[in-house]
Amino acid sequence: MFLAVKELMHSKMRFLMIVIIFVLLAWLVFILSGLGNGLSTLAASTFKTMKADYVIFEEGSQSSMSKSLLSDQLIPEVQLLPNVIAAAPMGSTMATALKEQSTRNEDKLDIAIIGINPGSFLEPAVVEGEGLSTENPTGVIVNSTMKEEGFAIGDTFQLDGTTQALTIIGFVENQTYNHVASVFTPMAEWRKIAFAAPGSDKGVTGPVNAIMLQGKDIDPDAIDNKLTGTDTVTRSGAVQGMPGYKEENGTIFMMLAFLLAIAAFVLGVFFYVITMQKTNQFGIMKAIGASNKFLSKAIVSQVFVLSLISIVVGILLTYGTAAIMPKGMPFKLETNLVVTYSIILLVISILSSMVSVRKITKIDPLKALGRVE
Amino acid sequence: MTKGLQMKELTKYYNEGSNRIAALDHVSISVEPGEFVAVVGPSGSGKSTFLSIAGALLKASEGEVKLNGNNISALTAQELADTRLKEIGFIMQSSNLVPYLNVLDQLLIIKRMSGKVKREDKEFAVKLLEKLGLGSKLKSFPEELSGGEKQRTAIARALINDPNIILADEPTASLDTKRAHEVVSLIAQEVNSGQKAAIMVTHDERMLEYCDKVYRMEDGKLSLQQAVKKSNLKEPAGTR
Repeated sequence: MFLAVKELMHSKMRFLMIVIIFVLLAWLVFILSGLGNGLSTLAASTFKTMKADYVIFEEGSQSSMSKSLLSDQLIPEVQLLPNVIAAAPMGSTMATALKEQSTRNEDKLDIAIIGINPGSFLEPAVVEGEGLSTENPTGVIVNSTMKEEGFAIGDTFQLDGTTQALTIIGFVENQTYNHVASVFTPMAEWRKIAFAAPGSDKGVTGPVNAIMLQGKDIDPDAIDNKLTGTDTVTRSGAVQGMPGYKEENGTIFMMLAFLLAIAAFVLGVFFYVITMQKTNQFGIMKAIGASNKFLSKAIVSQVFVLSLISIVVGILLTYGTAAIMPKGMPFKLETNLVVTYSIILLVISILSSMVSVRKITKIDPLKALGRVE
Repeated sequence: MTKGLQMKELTKYYNEGSNRIAALDHVSISVEPGEFVAVVGPSGSGKSTFLSIAGALLKASEGEVKLNGNNISALTAQELADTRLKEIGFIMQSSNLVPYLNVLDQLLIIKRMSGKVKREDKEFAVKLLEKLGLGSKLKSFPEELSGGEKQRTAIARALINDPNIILADEPTASLDTKRAHEVVSLIAQEVNSGQKAAIMVTHDERMLEYCDKVYRMEDGKLSLQQAVKKSNLKEPAGTR
């Protein structure tokens, strides 16, 4: 560490340049992971924040709400199954909110209508206004992003292409589904909207898209064996089943993977070049008795210090960027994500310095003295 | 246990194409503690090979090297590095200081190689540097030092672990006459006061007056040329 820090202090300029490169790489990694996280939150936060552990879908629905249709008659039966604490129905459908019959672009807003039973564990807590009630089927609670679109409590909006109108009675936070704001309605109202066309409910009584379960250690197979025509998955399985979710996350993940691989290579080359420049110095130190371990430690600790500084600066820059990002940008940094990627970057840079360490152990002190006859 | 440095029947072959060249040809030498030996000879005579083997940097093809009575021919690379660190003080042609360490740290880094730096180590290093006339340069970097100062720092570095053997490879090559005398007399003093066995390889005939014995190396063969009486080396005041 001593040798490493002394050298850093002495050739600040050279190391500053490496730090800049590293900071840029770290910054990019954090921004990208924040964007990826933001996007997947946008796609499924309603699902992700739900206090449900398992989801029952119709058999053959590929864990997708839009492909699944069940009857709510199953619920009393489900509630009796082992380990199930609670069960509640849920339905979802995409729609367009229309402000006052307007035909202007800015007055149309895509929304996801989520049908739930008022008061069930699926209902998110409102941050403003009041919760759903069965007496008021057209009163809905909506995601707070709709405030920025000019909606307020008491506003009534039309659903494009239907005769239904909904009134906002409360706002909730972090509730998006399929990249658009979630609008929670009582189950009965959702059925009117989702099955407006005669026969679209396929004759199912009390149709719902899925039944959400609360309870630890539920055996999905046991449930499917007891019920007929169902497919039970964990909540994260249901998130994966959302249309486009896997593909979207795959894209971000591939970008991150490539970025990290490139970072490993770029940093490795930088450390290697710096080490090569010092071959002679290391050889002399070996000649006067430095062991490979001593020199390797010097290199690794130097890389560690450089990486740590760069990662910290990268994190600060990322939070700075997040602060000035436009509101609508799907960017969401989570502490555990930042910590994870910091550790990955740190490990990558240490590993990439191993090439240099290997080089050092091979230096012949005699050659460094330049006196081989 | 015999102290000092003993080399017996050392031979070192190099392969050059299909020929085998003997850089050292049955070289034997014994240097006692307190003895300062010079090895002179033309370029290519094997002087450096000789010094590299003595300095545990190179292994001989045949023969044995004893440092303080220990045979170093059979040691592993790690043990050799340790031997170089603790038993041998190496003074090189150019001082070869680490560019980003100040004079004091040049010495302390050697201490760090074998563990932690204690307060006594630091005091010893400061005292050593003061004795070598570098008391005002403790915080200077090599680029701020003159050639003589650099070489004196290198001598201090070689002495910091209180080694039994001092090996000097053309220590005066880059110095003017005055500085060269300064540097070699310093080495001679240390050899004398610290009872160290020292070998200096040199081209510089002016420096031989400081040495107890002069050997000549020619075509890999070592022969005693003369034993010099140390008449003009004054016993330094203030050393033990």
